[in-house]
Amino acid sequence: MADPRLKSALEGVYEGFNKGRIAAAADTDAWEAQRDRGRAIKEHTIVNLDYYLEMLADNVEKNGGNVFFARDSAEANRYVLEIAAQRGVQTVIKSKSMVSEETQLNHALEGAGVEAVETDLGEYIIQLAGEAPYHIIAPAIHKSKDEVSTLLAERSGGRRLEDAAELTMQAREQLRGAFRRADMSVTGVNFAVAESGSIVLVTNEGNGRMATSAPRIHVAAMGMEKVVPSIADLSTFLRILIRSATGQRISSYVTMVNGPRRSDDEDGPEEFHLIVIDNGRSKLLADPHLREALYCIRCGACMNACPVYRKVGGHSYGWVYPGPIGAVITPVLTGIDEGKDLPFASTLCGACREACPVRIDLPRMLLELRAQAVESSGGKPAGLMWRGWRAGLTRRAAFDGGSRVGRWLLRPITRGGWTRRLPFPLGGWTTSRDFLAPAAASFVSRFNRSNRNKSR
Amino acid sequence: MTGRREFLSSVRASLGRSPGEGPTAAPPGSDVIAPADERTRRAEQVRAVMAERAGELLEELVGSAAKAGWRIHRTTSDEEVVEAITRICSETNARNVLKSGEQSIADLNGLDESLASAGIEVEWAVQEQTDGEAAHRARLFESDVGITGADYAIAETGTVVVHPRGGLSRMVSLAPPRHMAVVRRGDILPSLDELFLLESEALANGTIASSMNLITGPSRTGDIEGVIVEGIHGPIEVHMVLVG
Repeated sequence: MADPRLKSALEGVYEGFNKGRIAAAADTDAWEAQRDRGRAIKEHTIVNLDYYLEMLADNVEKNGGNVFFARDSAEANRYVLEIAAQRGVQTVIKSKSMVSEETQLNHALEGAGVEAVETDLGEYIIQLAGEAPYHIIAPAIHKSKDEVSTLLAERSGGRRLEDAAELTMQAREQLRGAFRRADMSVTGVNFAVAESGSIVLVTNEGNGRMATSAPRIHVAAMGMEKVVPSIADLSTFLRILIRSATGQRISSYVTMVNGPRRSDDEDGPEEFHLIVIDNGRSKLLADPHLREALYCIRCGACMNACPVYRKVGGHSYGWVYPGPIGAVITPVLTGIDEGKDLPFASTLCGACREACPVRIDLPRMLLELRAQAVESSGGKPAGLMWRGWRAGLTRRAAFDGGSRVGRWLLRPITRGGWTRRLPFPLGGWTTSRDFLAPAAASFVSRFNRSNRNKSR
Repeated sequence: MTGRREFLSSVRASLGRSPGEGPTAAPPGSDVIAPADERTRRAEQVRAVMAERAGELLEELVGSAAKAGWRIHRTTSDEEVVEAITRICSETNARNVLKSGEQSIADLNGLDESLASAGIEVEWAVQEQTDGEAAHRARLFESDVGITGADYAIAETGTVVVHPRGGLSRMVSLAPPRHMAVVRRGDILPSLDELFLLESEALANGTIASSMNLITGPSRTGDIEGVIVEGIHGPIEVHMVLVG
């Protein structure tokens, strides 16, 4: 992040996404009601997840597709490799799939001698660069035009091109060959519909359409939380997803797949496979404090709105999902020690909760994870403190009461607005610094008083 | 490997539910349980709106589609459709055109002759009429223009809806650099809500297609420094020919 030009370009992109989302919300009938409806449907589906996954699987099979349930990355990858081996697949085209980033499918395919080509332009660029996605909607947004130019020129052995339109055409030409020769595609899933056994893909580039039209075999991989009950739910979810992600009314393409091609269809894959992946999600499901992380529809709005993400960038989160949602799900899904610091990298400003189309309370969960992290590292008192902190910040009465008590307790040991020495167990804080005493009256009480005066 | 049963029982355990347990409550505002006759009744209402408000919806579509990047061509008859298609092909120096196989395109009288007289080669994107899989695929990827009809258009979003059935190829609206969609008055839906109500009926009465594509303008990307570029994997330029 040392390059100031890149930094200002990124700021422009995040701000563009943010403004687009806000403008699209203002332009949408009953936007707040659509968010509420989306959240209510997600909440219902997640607490009945086994029921809807079973319905989904039955209907995919009824449509002539295959369903595979994968506990973890290894099982998911093994299934893909088995199909590839059985069918003699040489080239797989990938259409953007975050869950296959989780399972590191490309790595597994290449290890088995199968060519895997990312076809979303951003994913293609970072595949050429050997990097991880920087943002879930715009994976290569940190790469300068100059870097992209070098990567594409190296790929084709051609000359370096200058502007974004020329570079895009160069990538189009390079990827056409892969679309023509691929035997198999692996795509993600934006929504899976239980009642019809359908999957829905949202793309702007058309690679999702290529992946569901050109090859013989289509494999779709989904995190198990992606299911929604009915077809009629899709209008709400498409609206809130797309408008929150890019600010468009709709993406260039929305593709719904209801199984393999039928005998009288002109074209389309002959085989359809759906892989439903847990990979740690049942830990989120089992924890009522964290369950709502599974409502996420992966729009990226929380990243664009987050002051910390915007400062530290997408690679600082260390895994597949950056930003506030990444800080919540990474430590749980990966279960590794590195992830446990992520919930502390937030100012809890609430911008993410405000931006989230399904109103996921990310700040509350970040506090919950802080408490869990401290407890699991043996720091019981600090764990209690984070829980108290959470209670104080999330409940109005507790916040008002707590700050009143704190003010009263500190008054006798405060001189000139500073406290020199805090009492046990907080004394550590004041061994090398002073503690700024709270104002005599809280902001809220002064605000209320001044409002009362005004209204008189 | 973990089987389906084991996977679902672990999900149940996480939720504290037992096997065979139904949903906790009716899905809020969702109609996964709506019976077929209810779906038909709603679809009838949608079709009534499409007919009653056809003129108004067409005007709204003209605005939303143009905003989404379609180039709009208004016509009042099939003869004018043929003229418009021929003119666009000539102006864009197309040498070969791929026609999707559905009836509404086959019914365009004189299209082949009109294009031929402008020196443009026309092919049907129909497998059995071609010289094998490889040649068929080459044609799909090498044609200059693809022509399709539309099952519906959506006024809210400027979208063309195609189901790959009845001869309609998935690839014709996708692989060639230019796509022309013929949209007829009376096939225009107010919004996404109505589209999915019709699909929901199709599911209940067993007429749902194997796939559905919503197409809104040209393909686009913003993946290089956030600059929006039109034309990446799908068409670079799209034309909507409106009839009526």
